[in-house]
Amino acid sequence: MWYNIFKFELQYRIKRPDTYVFFLFLFLFSIVGVDFIFQGTDLGLMKKNSPLVIAKSMGAITGLFMILASMIMGVSVLRDFEYNIESLMFSTPIHKKDYLLGRFLGSFTVLLFVFSGIPLGMILGELMPWTAADELLDFNGFVYIKTFLLVTIPTVFFGAALFFVTGALSRNLVVVYTQGIFLFVVFMLTKAITNDFWQAVLDPFSLTTTTFITKSWTALEKSTQELPFIGALLYNKLFWFSLGITALVYGYHKFNFNVVKEKSSKGKRTQISEANAQDDNEVIIPDTKKQYGLSSKWTQLKQFSWFYFIGICKQSSFWAIVICGMIIILVNSVNLGTVYGVDSYPATYFIVEELQETSIFFFIIILVFYSGELVWKERGAKLNLIYDATSMSSFIKLAGKYIGLNLIYVVLILALIISGIIFQTLSGYYKYELYVYFYGFFLEILPFLALYTFIAFFVQSAVNHKFVGVMLVIIFFIANTALGLFGFDHDLYLFGGNSIGVYSEMNGYGHFLKPYLFIKSYWFLFGMLLLIIASLVSVRGIETNLIKRIKVVKYRLSKPLFKLACMVLLAFITVGSFIFYNTNVLHAYWTNSEATAFRLGYEKELKQFEYLPQPKLVDVNLQLELYPSSRGYTVEGYYILKNTNSEDIKSVHIQKLIEENITLDGLSFESGFTVDNQYKKYDYAIFNFNKALKPGDSVKMYFKQSFITKGFELGNSNVNINKNGTFFNNSDLPTIGYNRKYELNDADEREEYNLPIRYNKAEREAVNELVNARSGSDSDGLNFEMIVGTSKDQTALVPGELLKQWKANNRNYFHYKMKIPIIDFYSIVSAEYEIKKDKWVYQKDSIITPVDLEIYYHKAHDYNLERMMSSMKASLNYYSENFSSYQYEHLRIMEFPRYAQYAQSFPGTIPFSESIGFVLDIDDESDVDMAFYVTAHEIAHQWFGMQVEAANVKGRHFILETLSQYAAMMVLKEHYSEDKLLQFLELQKDVYKKGKDREASVEPSLALVENQDYVYYAKGAIQMYQFQKAVGEVNVNRALRRFLKDWNSRDGILKTKTDRYATSKDLLGYFTSVTPKDLHYMIAELFESVEPLKVSTDENNYD
Amino acid sequence: MFVLINQKTNIMKLIIDNLSKTYSNGIEALQNVSLEIPKGMFGLLGPNGAGKSTLMRTIATLQEADSGSIVLGDIDVLKQKNELRQVLGYLPQQFGLYPKISAEVLLNHFAVLKGITNKSERKDLVKALLHKTNLYDVRKQNLKGYSGGMKQRFGIAQALLNNPKLLIVDEPTAGLDPVERNRFYNVLSELGEHTVVILSTHIVDDVKELCTNMAIINQGQVCLKGNPLQILEGLKGKVYKKTIEKSELSLYKQNYKVISDKLFLGKPTIHILSDVDPRDGFSLINAELEDVYFSEIFNHTNSKSI
Repeated sequence: MWYNIFKFELQYRIKRPDTYVFFLFLFLFSIVGVDFIFQGTDLGLMKKNSPLVIAKSMGAITGLFMILASMIMGVSVLRDFEYNIESLMFSTPIHKKDYLLGRFLGSFTVLLFVFSGIPLGMILGELMPWTAADELLDFNGFVYIKTFLLVTIPTVFFGAALFFVTGALSRNLVVVYTQGIFLFVVFMLTKAITNDFWQAVLDPFSLTTTTFITKSWTALEKSTQELPFIGALLYNKLFWFSLGITALVYGYHKFNFNVVKEKSSKGKRTQISEANAQDDNEVIIPDTKKQYGLSSKWTQLKQFSWFYFIGICKQSSFWAIVICGMIIILVNSVNLGTVYGVDSYPATYFIVEELQETSIFFFIIILVFYSGELVWKERGAKLNLIYDATSMSSFIKLAGKYIGLNLIYVVLILALIISGIIFQTLSGYYKYELYVYFYGFFLEILPFLALYTFIAFFVQSAVNHKFVGVMLVIIFFIANTALGLFGFDHDLYLFGGNSIGVYSEMNGYGHFLKPYLFIKSYWFLFGMLLLIIASLVSVRGIETNLIKRIKVVKYRLSKPLFKLACMVLLAFITVGSFIFYNTNVLHAYWTNSEATAFRLGYEKELKQFEYLPQPKLVDVNLQLELYPSSRGYTVEGYYILKNTNSEDIKSVHIQKLIEENITLDGLSFESGFTVDNQYKKYDYAIFNFNKALKPGDSVKMYFKQSFITKGFELGNSNVNINKNGTFFNNSDLPTIGYNRKYELNDADEREEYNLPIRYNKAEREAVNELVNARSGSDSDGLNFEMIVGTSKDQTALVPGELLKQWKANNRNYFHYKMKIPIIDFYSIVSAEYEIKKDKWVYQKDSIITPVDLEIYYHKAHDYNLERMMSSMKASLNYYSENFSSYQYEHLRIMEFPRYAQYAQSFPGTIPFSESIGFVLDIDDESDVDMAFYVTAHEIAHQWFGMQVEAANVKGRHFILETLSQYAAMMVLKEHYSEDKLLQFLELQKDVYKKGKDREASVEPSLALVENQDYVYYAKGAIQMYQFQKAVGEVNVNRALRRFLKDWNSRDGILKTKTDRYATSKDLLGYFTSVTPKDLHYMIAELFESVEPLKVSTDENNYD
Repeated sequence: MFVLINQKTNIMKLIIDNLSKTYSNGIEALQNVSLEIPKGMFGLLGPNGAGKSTLMRTIATLQEADSGSIVLGDIDVLKQKNELRQVLGYLPQQFGLYPKISAEVLLNHFAVLKGITNKSERKDLVKALLHKTNLYDVRKQNLKGYSGGMKQRFGIAQALLNNPKLLIVDEPTAGLDPVERNRFYNVLSELGEHTVVILSTHIVDDVKELCTNMAIINQGQVCLKGNPLQILEGLKGKVYKKTIEKSELSLYKQNYKVISDKLFLGKPTIHILSDVDPRDGFSLINAELEDVYFSEIFNHTNSKSI
């Protein structure tokens, strides 16, 4: 008997278009599945069809589209209730067992068919022409089948069982949908499990499981090895499989063959007893005015919005979503603003970001399904004909539903905000900043949802098939996201426009807000048009054929609606034109291919000048006027250029920063000159001197550069010049000669255009680069003087002693000058600051040098000032004691907005991002004091970077970064303890491992490191620790002292005799000289080879 | 001047002229239907699938016609849908209700929908209609628990909200018990005084008890229209009755115009149509409306052209 039911179910499904739509959807999605799941992550050595990648992708796609399982499984029993044939069904002599088994197996078979689209799609994806052969292993279909059987099927089975049972028991479609959320919550919950093993076992989509079982694998193993289905993965699958069985058994026992749900028959369901029929003929029906004007439309709109809003509010499934959303933040906000394993204070913007990230899934579920439910509400209740025959405007009805759904979002938003506040309170943080919550949700999330809701209503109204509508909305969502990822991201055609930039406590939303609001308004008007069209083509009456519906639109378009549509259209065009004017007229809009062509041309035409002998900067004297509120500046003054070559120089090549906001004019030289503008296209000008510049001669170069913000531009507009928190450096000012940074960088693209391979760093012996301290360095040391003016509430800072400070024209002015030459690297910073001041006094050979210590910080960010200040002192102490004396009379830290997450050392000044040290919530028991450490690292750069520079070849960062890591570690050890240092090193090991896994090519040794930060930061720290353990801290410091003495840029014994800079080879020489002979092998092992890390920071090693 | 008078006389008349509708599957649901429906109760009688609902829905602006026209007063129904909807009350053949809402709330919602936006007026109106349909005592209950009759009465309350000039009720009594049916008729009967009420049904008694005018429609065509009493006049002295054996039924059907056969105490009782007395045990009876109905259907199915 069950077989007949099974067969019937199959036959029914075979005839349904949904089955094929779902299959096709998964199939098509899976073709790009791997790219989608792994977008933005570097696969490293792993190939796109590595078993691990396949397993993860399949697991993730299965998880993402579990909702399909709910649509298929949930309705299989529910259907009988929906079509009201349950009484027919259940009164036939079939057994419950046969009925349920037949239905379950039938729909599960269909479900498997649908999900088989995943492996098939992925296989096809592998064969697609856009997948390069070197990204792939040899094709192996067996891997796909095996992974499907072992990863996807158990998960799908569990989902199927769960959805089937809930569908059968609840008899409510929306309850079925929300199961998807339930699984998602479980998935998020498992992320909070700290025990790796249990997390691996309990993860419903086995994503962490595969990570767990391959944790100890090398990159090569990860790339090729098949996944062993034993251990955690097996337990995981068994666990979820048996949970599925449990659900089925439970459902079987609970399922009742009665037509009427038991619960309701016991409870409220009482047939309403009627009052005796009375003679009601006496009742007089009062005369009422029927109003069809605008004010009545307004009343209707309000009433409808509320009506539909309440309708959803009455559904328990909605509240289930709300409660899940509230719980998830409490579980998931364990890692807030985490930097180097240290959490930040639960400041509101962190909470908001976390809430946004986790709740978006919930919002999308609500959007996609409730929009369907709402459009179908009347038809679902079979009330549609009554509605349709009234004079109510279709538009008002649809708009009411639209507003109602948006009110639903508001409820969820408020719930999330409340849970955020609860979380903050529980964490002992009471600065709630409601406006940040408000902005985060009502400015970022709600507009996003509101716009997609327009799409959803439009689609649902047009296609007249609820599930197909849901799928189309999801497809639209994915397609639009993909469009953006592929670079088609102009706000005028990327639906909804781009998201607003990062919120910074220093700068708020800064200058992002205005364009964002315009673009949202533009799309909102577009959405209104969609809604109007939707209301015109929506089903009214019994005609469902879309073409026929479109044909009668002209009869349905009423005059007021037509007027409204015209007005909206006009506004849409106006706002659109305004945006276009800003983005494409005031600013040049570059498509990706235009940008590529430009880079190609730059390299092709100008590469010839790369090593052309040019004079060097020896003097910089500028006056800069910064206008934060209008985001502009002018800077004028002069450079002194000196011919340090042995031959005459006839011309100087000047590169203006290629940014359209910047204009450079009045560029002139003291002596006579002519300008050759043939490369103007690249903002590259050649100035020919009338009289050649003789070796040793200097010339003054005057210029004036202006930065003017005009209107707004697209996407990543300049985040250096801000209303509060400006931070840029001298690379924005005119530079000399060819600039490598404008070359095409992407290896694949270079290959495509037949360009030679571009190395990030030259070979260690490259003669041309050995004389450069940085890429295209324009100077070997310069005298620096600058006057900066800024708005009256801001403090402006550049390197140098502050000579004078005054007010003029209601502005603040600061005059800085460096007493000794500095490297060609200086920053300009301005913001509203609080200042913390202290002094550090250094005494050497009876000369006392006081150094002014200052931290410029955003008012609310005073949590870690003491830590940073003590780090400044401890670092200065240690470095001047062990390396050489500190060269300036000031040391400043300046906070800047978190558009970038780093701190960077300039001569005597350290701009420090607000996100990485200022707001860390450091627990001295359990955390490493990263505010202290980062400060120490940056101060170390005052030695390694400012005092000694390294040649711009492989290994440069070994000298600059690894040595700074070493120095900071020693300070950390001294100030805290060896244990803290070991804890720090543990973190570095993780960083190194992660970096290594992502490495696309071969890992270099430290001595020849290029731009691999996991090598020069993380591995460097670990190796230096081993090294000093072995040869002794004292000896290492001795080597460094000598190195500095010989190679420092100002008066190094060796440096003054050569024009080249130090390399890692030089450094290792000093290391060798302090290392006992029997340990010399270690230097080769630690720094010159790529041996696997010796993972032991045990005391015994090398002791 | 003449035109003006003409309009005035037309103002409360629904005129259907040559209305045709063929569905995409080839079924000719309406074929050149022409009817003139004055103020009062109008019964539209026909078997299942005759095209009644198609006609009703077309009048109620829920469906397009292929050709023909419908006019109510000066409203061109097929083009000025919204104008018609403002004066239309419609109770579809089948409808549901939101289960978790009370009658009062839903009726109030519909009142807003129909343009009654003044709050206090609306409140009084809803209250009056709930009284009228005898739902006042259960107005706070969720609609989920309503019986079929209560549901239909709610339906009529809803249809009356906008004080319609044209009221269309499509098979309203199907599935109601006799008590409920009477109660429903009582509500309906008053309305004919001011309103064009079209009542479609396949139950002859409905028409007999309520309607001043009627039409019989079968296979998309109007077979008969007029005043029930006058129509009955036409059959006077033509309908004969006889109780026969089951086995004889086919024989009688061959020899006479049998318009209906019913079981009476287990034996078939046939009604035949005959201009002369057929003798043979037949006895003359007073024709009922049912006989008219059956004879029309009989005629129609036997000879398609009348």
